[in-house]
Amino acid sequence: MQASPDPATPLWRAAQVFRLLSCLYALGFQIAINDDLERPAIGWALFAVLVSWSVACAAAYLHGYGRRIAWVGAEVVVVVALMLSTEIIASDQWALDNQSWPTTLWATNATISAAILLGPVAGMTTGLLVTASNAVLKGYVSVDVGRNATVVIELAVGLAIGMAAQTARRAHTELQRAARLAASLEERERLSREVHDGAIQVLALVARRGREIGGPTTELAELAGEQERALRRWVSAAGTPVPEGVEIDLVTLLRDRAADRVSVSLPPEPVVLSAEVAREVDAAVANALDNVVAHAGADARAYVLLEDLEDSVVVSVRDDGSGIPAGRLEEAADEGRVGVSKSIVGRLNWLGGTARLSTGPGRGTEWELTIPRSR
Amino acid sequence: MVVDDHPIWRDAVARDLAEEGFAVVATADGAGSARRRAEVVKPDVVVMDMRLSDGNGAIATAEVLTVSPSSRVLVLSASDERDDVLEAVKAGATGYLVKSASKGELAEAVRATGEGRAVFTPGLAGLVLGEYRRIARSPGGHDSTPSLTERETEILRYVAKGLTAKQIAEQLSLSHRTVENHVQATFRKLQVANRVELARYAMEHGLDE
Repeated sequence: MQASPDPATPLWRAAQVFRLLSCLYALGFQIAINDDLERPAIGWALFAVLVSWSVACAAAYLHGYGRRIAWVGAEVVVVVALMLSTEIIASDQWALDNQSWPTTLWATNATISAAILLGPVAGMTTGLLVTASNAVLKGYVSVDVGRNATVVIELAVGLAIGMAAQTARRAHTELQRAARLAASLEERERLSREVHDGAIQVLALVARRGREIGGPTTELAELAGEQERALRRWVSAAGTPVPEGVEIDLVTLLRDRAADRVSVSLPPEPVVLSAEVAREVDAAVANALDNVVAHAGADARAYVLLEDLEDSVVVSVRDDGSGIPAGRLEEAADEGRVGVSKSIVGRLNWLGGTARLSTGPGRGTEWELTIPRSR
Repeated sequence: MVVDDHPIWRDAVARDLAEEGFAVVATADGAGSARRRAEVVKPDVVVMDMRLSDGNGAIATAEVLTVSPSSRVLVLSASDERDDVLEAVKAGATGYLVKSASKGELAEAVRATGEGRAVFTPGLAGLVLGEYRRIARSPGGHDSTPSLTERETEILRYVAKGLTAKQIAEQLSLSHRTVENHVQATFRKLQVANRVELARYAMEHGLDE
């Protein structure tokens, strides 16, 4: 059978119950009108065909092998053919006075099958086809839907059942997607735990011991430390869902700036800013940290502090390096070198904030970036 | 006492401390075993990892301090386990050190914790600072809601920006010890706030019988 269960299966089952009832109705109609037919014998013979075909369809749809275009197409053809056969077994006058002999109710089975398999459009099209066969039979098109509502009913059945089938399939797809997502999240979390308990611990230990031993081993220790941090970031990102839309968390961005010589102090809760602003602030922090590497000396350490003051967000980037001698910045500007400082100030101005630099020889440097909150 | 669920780490920390002249009276790999052993040996200092086989270091901190109130807890953890670290401070931990710290730093931190001094990092100061601001913002503040004094805020900001207690002391013309006391006070107030919050929660939910 099918790889995954058909979400429309309950609809197919219900349709077969309807099919049974419509056959009983057709049988009653047949018994009542058979004597009025021109060729009653053929009438019964065709009724036998109707019942056999109904049984075949019910079996095919219940088992699932009939749930395809070829089978439903065949059903529509048989239904239309049987309706048109009224021409042969009954007089024109009878045809005009009555519904077609297999009954409109039974013919509706084709509409239902098409709607379940292919949706509302196919359902309504088949409904129109059934109504058209009726019209051909009577030789005129009944436009007075007030007196004869067949076309309306056929269209409504096609639409309603088609939409029900579509909804069922969509819900099923959604459900599967959600299940897949949950499974992959779970798998990621399991992996995270293993990585955390295994690789990360060993890397952390190697980094620590390596630094203790000193000498060339320090280099290995730093490599191990770098990998440890990278894995930690990956692990802590695994648990938190990625924020969507135009707002992002500055805490998450700045956390990634932590390194061997960069300590990042963050509040416990997310600091959510518009993505544009957050990226710009992050870039300004990166500029400031680049500055530390370039100017503060090889042993300098940098400290980033993020504070959420509700109506503004303050980021401080401090280093304990050699600092910038007085007048050095002005000198650089006079020489036409715009440099990193200009870039930081520019970014903050663009955000409507301020960037303040305090420094002095031997005192390190400290940037204080203030970003106002618009809301 | 050393609590860590990772055997390699547990042994390494225990060995380092022994080499530095400390008596490692017990080791444990989880909150349950930590509580049982602390109850018996009453360690002066508990070096606590944040990730344990059963639960986390914050839970273990609370449990150890329940059975051995005179113990002091030093959290030794990775920098990423941020929420847990804050929880541990709320549960009564008085020290926090990152796992990348050297053997010497670890020994110094254990010594300081044993003497009742606070051990902290810039990262922890940032968390504590942020936590007070979160509390200040949250609705339904009570008289018992803790807040920082101006001086404490100032000092926490300096710590978060990487200044050492000594540097801060110079900057503010205070003694080194006073600076440490201020930081410690901010930890203690969070712990009290946590207890008040738990008690209030218990009362509101009928768990106080």
